[in-house]
Amino acid sequence: MFQAGVREYREIYWDPDYQPRDTDVLAAFRLIPQPEVAPEEAAAAVAAESSTATWTTVWTDRLTTLERYKARAYCLEPVPGRPDQYLAYVAYPLELFEEGSVTSMMASITGNVFGFKAIRALRLEDLRIPVALVKTFQGPPTGIQVERDRLNKYGRPLLGATLKPKLGLSPRNYGRACFELLRGGLDFTKDDENITSQPFMRWGDRFQFVMEAVRKAEAETGERKGHYLNVTAPDCEQMLERAEFARQLGSPIIMHDYLVGGFSAHTTLSRWCRRNGMLLHVHRALHAVVDRQKDHGIHFRVLAKWLRLAGGDHLHTGTVVGKLEGDRETTLGVVDLLREDFIPANRSRGIYFDQEWASLPTVLPAASGGIHVWHMPTLVEIFGDDAVLQFGGGSAGHPQGSRAGATACRVALEACVQARNEGRDLAAEGKHILEQAARRSTELAAALDTWREIRFDYEAVDSPDVVQT
Amino acid sequence: MRLETFSYLPELSSEQLAQQISSILGRRLVVGIEYSTAPDPYDHYWTMWKLPLFDTDDPAVVIAELDACRQANPGAYIKINGYDPGRQGQVVSFVVAQPAQVA
Repeated sequence: MFQAGVREYREIYWDPDYQPRDTDVLAAFRLIPQPEVAPEEAAAAVAAESSTATWTTVWTDRLTTLERYKARAYCLEPVPGRPDQYLAYVAYPLELFEEGSVTSMMASITGNVFGFKAIRALRLEDLRIPVALVKTFQGPPTGIQVERDRLNKYGRPLLGATLKPKLGLSPRNYGRACFELLRGGLDFTKDDENITSQPFMRWGDRFQFVMEAVRKAEAETGERKGHYLNVTAPDCEQMLERAEFARQLGSPIIMHDYLVGGFSAHTTLSRWCRRNGMLLHVHRALHAVVDRQKDHGIHFRVLAKWLRLAGGDHLHTGTVVGKLEGDRETTLGVVDLLREDFIPANRSRGIYFDQEWASLPTVLPAASGGIHVWHMPTLVEIFGDDAVLQFGGGSAGHPQGSRAGATACRVALEACVQARNEGRDLAAEGKHILEQAARRSTELAAALDTWREIRFDYEAVDSPDVVQT
Repeated sequence: MRLETFSYLPELSSEQLAQQISSILGRRLVVGIEYSTAPDPYDHYWTMWKLPLFDTDDPAVVIAELDACRQANPGAYIKINGYDPGRQGQVVSFVVAQPAQVA
């Protein structure tokens, strides 16, 4: 007989004896219950509200098998040094998710539950996506190795720059700024995320002038060049129209802002890129709103995993050393999640679960934001070859202009790569390596003089919780 | 004209080139030598100088092959590649010789 009424969530959704299955989606939540709510009840509420339950029993529960569809909170751990906080682990059966849909995962796991009154705060720290679900996605349109093969660029990080000022240049002047950077030695230039199609520079005009600059820089240098043409648009039809025009002009790469555009639009674009042999650079505007505060939201490692599933060839990850937030170990963890095929759990990097990608293509991390030539040894040491390092102000801010700034970056990069391959220690010898290289490069010498004292040493707001043992 | 990695540095000395080759071999990459008389950034297939040196771990062997390639093709650009069979792709490639610049 149907028994109407309200039952405690933990009667059904707290199951500390549950052994997660290989096909389950596993979530690690940072949970702060309201003071009067037991942690088991709060954890069960998270599992319940993100799967089968509502606040009261309903007669239609009896028409299905909850055992098959319900999520289970199966483990609770106290957070070191934070007596009000717990890590709650929840297992979701595979059948709760649509194939090939990040949107479906987001709607379930990061849906209503974040506004639940019995919980004071909630943050999704990590998500284990089972191979059974990974294999329903195609992931990045190109992948790191095919991008390198296509562009003939090997054995070093790629170099890029965001054009500055962010806003207000005319299309012709914008193309000029692009040309100077590319001929100076950068591989890529980039639209700032603020640039879409404003009255001072409509997208079609920008695309044409920029592609003239790209072609001319290729002819002059004999190297492949590209500009991340931002196709983020008011609606999906216009997004695809812009992508198609970029393809017609011969651009090797376009750009999308995946969080503001949304996962459905982004997945459409990623599939379009795969069909059309186009590289996809992905910017992450909005991410800090969602991921920066430690007690609330979705950690960037989850947003990065979702991007690898939905597809992108480059993703901004932070620089560790530049002007933007990013704890070193946390950033390295994200970089591994983008570039490796199997990433073991590693709490010192904030990675809670083993993640198997089953040969899903890889994503090149993009380090951008307040970096300059003095950071080069550290960046090469942290990121290795498979990254794109973006020096916006760090190239156009050069006293002799953009071309010289770009050359300074390229010389510094190649000197660091050469030294690393010779077995030299970039952390210890970086300053010496740069100063040696500057003897043969007036561009690098001037850059080193300009940015000698600029540092961004602020404590990270977000960092992994590790018990010191 | 620039030719990708290391083209913004002064030409590598013999000793520096040997160090780069040791680095490639030290990573257990397979060395390949290719040459072209008309490099083009859209060209993925320069001519192979023999087959890749699959079982070579001696830098002197690689340098001898580079010299032989240079003697046989005096007007050519020559590059050295490091191929990673696990990744099924090149992970190192740079030009080690180019024809003397004609003024």
